[in-house]
Amino acid sequence: MRLFLREQRPVIVIYFIQLAVVTFVYWLDGYRNAAVSMYAVLLSSCLLVGYLVFRYLTHRSFYRRLQEPAESIGDFTDVKPSSPLSESLHRLLKSQYRHYISELSGQTEKIEGHIRFINQWVHQMKTPISVIHLMVQQESDSRSVAIADELDRLRKGLDMVLYTARLDQFEHDIYVETLGLEKLVRSLITAQKRLFIRGKVFPVIEMEPQLSVVSDEKWLTFVLTQLITNAVRYTLRENGKLYFRAYAKNGRTMLEIEDEGIGIPESDLPRVFDAYFTGENGRRFQESTGMGMYLAKEICRKLGHELDIESEEGRGTLVRMKF
Amino acid sequence: MFKIFIVEDDQGLVKLLEEYLHKFDYETFAVTDFESINTQFRQYVPHLVLLDVNLPKYDGYYWCRQIRSLSTCPIIFLSARDGKMDQVMGLDNGADDYITKPFDYDIVLAKINSHLRRAYGTYAAQAEGRPLQVQGLRLDRERLCLFLREMRVELSHTEMKILDELMIKSEQVVSRDRLLEKIWDEQIFVDDNTLNVYVTRVRKKLSALGIEDALQTVRGQGYRLVPSWENTP
Repeated sequence: MRLFLREQRPVIVIYFIQLAVVTFVYWLDGYRNAAVSMYAVLLSSCLLVGYLVFRYLTHRSFYRRLQEPAESIGDFTDVKPSSPLSESLHRLLKSQYRHYISELSGQTEKIEGHIRFINQWVHQMKTPISVIHLMVQQESDSRSVAIADELDRLRKGLDMVLYTARLDQFEHDIYVETLGLEKLVRSLITAQKRLFIRGKVFPVIEMEPQLSVVSDEKWLTFVLTQLITNAVRYTLRENGKLYFRAYAKNGRTMLEIEDEGIGIPESDLPRVFDAYFTGENGRRFQESTGMGMYLAKEICRKLGHELDIESEEGRGTLVRMKF
Repeated sequence: MFKIFIVEDDQGLVKLLEEYLHKFDYETFAVTDFESINTQFRQYVPHLVLLDVNLPKYDGYYWCRQIRSLSTCPIIFLSARDGKMDQVMGLDNGADDYITKPFDYDIVLAKINSHLRRAYGTYAAQAEGRPLQVQGLRLDRERLCLFLREMRVELSHTEMKILDELMIKSEQVVSRDRLLEKIWDEQIFVDDNTLNVYVTRVRKKLSALGIEDALQTVRGQGYRLVPSWENTP
């Protein structure tokens, strides 16, 4: 209604000016009967009001549409055009919408193709990694050990690429089941034993053995591996401990991973989950992409878990997952 | 002697697998013509198949079904794909197991052994390959025993693993990290001090066989097993 009145304001103003001009011309001519002029004003005003009402009624849905913000891109299609103006606008929007959709689907296709390519590429890279892995496995000289370590990093990097690419299609790639928490953590630690042994960090498990969680094993494993890798990497002293604790609290299962590492500066703490944020520690150690914690948080959000972090510089870091 | 049929298109990987399996007395055949896997299978008649998923022309699932129509021998998939669906697909198409790349030698060997044992139970002793032997000192991995001439001592699982590694690499230095890696499993996480305890126990077991000073400590590097005992019965 307000938009309609604003739109019609020039017409109304012109009308009154015209009325004044006509009356004035008659007045100059010597015709001075106020009552008749008032009658004429009244009549023509009625005509104006009639015109405005008609115009408003026919264009009502059109104006209402213009005033309300669109909720989705195809929102306009349910409006029935009732006047030439709204009809042509409708046509314009429709053709624009068509162009937009075709361009968008082209883009989506491109992105999907790219993701498919990345997936395939990562899998192709796994065979050469297997070969190198087998070649150095039987050797124990320092060179082979160094190659094996680099290989581990390469594998983690590839996994990160794979999981980042998959994140958008999360819904198609999830299998939820009940997982024994202690068993899961133990097998994870074993899978990362090289990391622990090289880092001279020792895991300590303090868990109630019966606890289980409902989650997707693959994604959860990825998140926990990220957390463990960080914890071990930032524990710089020898024989540091990495505590795994699990307990039930207020009907929810908690899993804590606490290290005795260098901790995170307080100023960095609120931003550790931001994408590409590396912070003080990342800059000092030159290995961080800033994606690990971001991915971990994002995956947890999608799985419906909460991820918190507490840290004191120089004392250690505690990461808590609420299931 | 067990015959293993390897279907994998990466020649480097095939070569390494073959070399490793030969060490444990397995006979192998690597497919080079991926058009006629059936025919080659029929000619070779293997006891077990290692099968890659991504192959030229047809994929591993297809060949798995083909092989299944010829034989019931154990089939183990080797694949870079680690998704649940891929594994389910593999097993649904008739495979017995699924190993994801990159894998460890130990895992491949353990799975091959266990499937052979299941499929050809009566040959169980053979399936373990030859007992590990260094100058008459024999390690029976299955029964957790160590023999020298007529003497024998029993070992714990962890002691067996330490001796296994030291004997395979006899006269070479084995690093502490490597030993830790070997004996670390889901039940025991071994720290440095625990390793010291285990090494001491292994020394005691050796001295029960009359072997002294064979297990040497190399400062800053690790341990070395020097065959100092006589091989005469």
